Amino acid sequence: MNPDVVLAIPALVESGALPPAAAPRLLRIARGQLVSVHAELRALLYAGVLLLMGGVGLLVRQNLDRIGPLAIATVLGLAAAAALAWVARVAPPFSWQEVASPNLAFDYILLLGLLLVAADLAYCEVQLGLAESQRAWHLLLVAALAGLAAFRFDSRVAFSLSLTTFAAWRGVALVDAANARAWGAATPWPAWRWNAIACGILFAGLGLGLAHWRRKAHFEPVAVHLGCLLALGGIATGIDEPAWGAALLLAGAALAAVAYRNRRFPLFAYGVVAAYAGVTRLLAEVSHDAALGCLWFAASSAAVIAVLLVAHRRMREPA
Amino acid sequence: MTPELDRADRAAAVRAAARSWRRAGLVDDEALAAVESAYPDDRARAGPVFRVLLFLFTVVAVSGLLGFLAAMGLGGHEQALATLAAAAGAALLALTELQVGALRRRQGGTEAATSLLGICLPLAAAAWLVLGPGHMEPAAGVAVLCTLAAALTGAAAWRWGYPFYAALGTAAALVALAHLPAGRAVWIVLALAAAPALLRLSESPRLPPAHRSSAMAVLLVALAGLYLAVHAVSWEERIVERIGGRDPGLAPPASTQGSVLWWSAMAATALVPILVLAAGLRRRRLPLLLAGTVAGVASLATFQHYLGLGPAWLLLTGAGALWIAAVLGLWRYLDSGPAGERGGFTAAPLLTDARRQAALEVGVAVLTLQPEARHAEGERPFEGGGGRSGGAGATGEF
Repeated sequence: MNPDVVLAIPALVESGALPPAAAPRLLRIARGQLVSVHAELRALLYAGVLLLMGGVGLLVRQNLDRIGPLAIATVLGLAAAAALAWVARVAPPFSWQEVASPNLAFDYILLLGLLLVAADLAYCEVQLGLAESQRAWHLLLVAALAGLAAFRFDSRVAFSLSLTTFAAWRGVALVDAANARAWGAATPWPAWRWNAIACGILFAGLGLGLAHWRRKAHFEPVAVHLGCLLALGGIATGIDEPAWGAALLLAGAALAAVAYRNRRFPLFAYGVVAAYAGVTRLLAEVSHDAALGCLWFAASSAAVIAVLLVAHRRMREPA
Repeated sequence: MTPELDRADRAAAVRAAARSWRRAGLVDDEALAAVESAYPDDRARAGPVFRVLLFLFTVVAVSGLLGFLAAMGLGGHEQALATLAAAAGAALLALTELQVGALRRRQGGTEAATSLLGICLPLAAAAWLVLGPGHMEPAAGVAVLCTLAAALTGAAAWRWGYPFYAALGTAAALVALAHLPAGRAVWIVLALAAAPALLRLSESPRLPPAHRSSAMAVLLVALAGLYLAVHAVSWEERIVERIGGRDPGLAPPASTQGSVLWWSAMAATALVPILVLAAGLRRRRLPLLLAGTVAGVASLATFQHYLGLGPAWLLLTGAGALWIAAVLGLWRYLDSGPAGERGGFTAAPLLTDARRQAALEVGVAVLTLQPEARHAEGERPFEGGGGRSGGAGATGEF
């Protein structure tokens, strides 16, 4: 409900700014007589999928002895197959361009099916007694399956599931590898860092490639944002060393510059924050004086604010 | 709130509506320009990303400056530090007033940061004053601090129109009231008494948009307080009394399971979400519907806790499946209504900002690793010619 818009609509119609035919329905919306629950229904569907998967997780954990592994694996498999079969049945034909979803539930049933497959795979892997070092492979399988589903069914839900599961595969594989060498070994940070950076570059490159070749170009923001965050986060984990501080400064500044040119506001923000963290890290190498540090934060932040105000004027981000 | 700011906010609301009409294809660029010309913006605003950055760096800049002053000897002692915080708070409040007033900033990030620090710093100074060694009892001190916080945030919400401060102030006031001997009863009575007035205020054309939102924020926090005050677990665990800083002692004997009081608390636990949902449906207010849904889920979890409705895995799986089925049923029910609506509700995305929604999807994907789904076929932005039955592409196959 928006009383100011209710008052404005008749005046706008009278002045000719608004077509008279549109006014009655717009007035209903502004008065709160017609309310859309579209976003709420989507959020509730997503919550329902999470609730269901939470129950499935508990089912597997608590009823292993009572029901038996074969029954659990079969039930999970059948449920996943049912969900994916429905998705395959109602899905529109494949296209490299954006395809309208056949209905509100489509992406969520697809997500449910993929998560059930993932749970079933993980369960079977544990039951088959695979070696510790091989247990991460189901994540790669799920990433591949979700990736295929994403492209076939044009689902950003499945695409992000694919990317994040791929990144998880690298993380878990490294920990497993370290454990295989020596139980209880510390997390291999350098390897983890390089993997995060490589994943980030791979994701960002994939996103840019998709946009460049106009193949599912609407997936680009998910891949590029996730890629940038992974790469910057990976670099930031090494910030104890000045060289990584310098790397963060350079990467952040480069990202901010590219984002500034292309008016990519969130990427610009990642770049600015990363560059600021990098330069602050380098300053910490020069001086350990607390007062000077505080002065640095005050002065540098004031300078960044001034730069941001100028950049905002030129980039013109809509308020 | 100054009349200039009131006018600016009202004009901003009309411009925002006009942009949503443009996105929906209802008006052309010329019409949008005409609206923006009729309701001009006299404020310096920033987009959401720049707003967050400006907010962040303003907080860092002010904190750095205060840290520098403290390190240089101005805050060598606790009392001097408290004095510095109080003085800085007053200066920041004045700076906020300057930005919102003479500098005409709105949604700019910097004024929100200075207002927040302008509230937090005097509170920190007051905390030193009332909670420091040899000063007040902790419980009494917390009550005084919460009263001060409620006053400061309430004044900030009133003067500059920040609904967040209104919610924060209400929460602080509830904590202060919990220190009264009949704190729980006060929470219940105040919420019930104020709810109708707050609901009316949240729709009143006489109030500026920000104050209407503030009224809704106060209402939601008051309802949360009401729910907490009547909730069965809250009775049993004496949660309100604990918030009030009193030794909760044992739960009243009458509140043991199976007693009249216990059943009354269970009934109230069920009733509050139903009443909130009913009010939301009747007035078609989404915040109330969402609050009622959240409270309803909490009540169901409470019943499971006490009544043992079944094993957790069965309950979660069943509830998840039922939930999905219910949402799909509701969607199809709304969509199959005349012009795609029933009772003033529609499942179609009226005037949805696809750009913001896409940004949100990316944000959700990055932050939770699970994005929201894309739009379904037929989920077109608003069409002026009226809705259509089955427009969301329902196939009847699901």
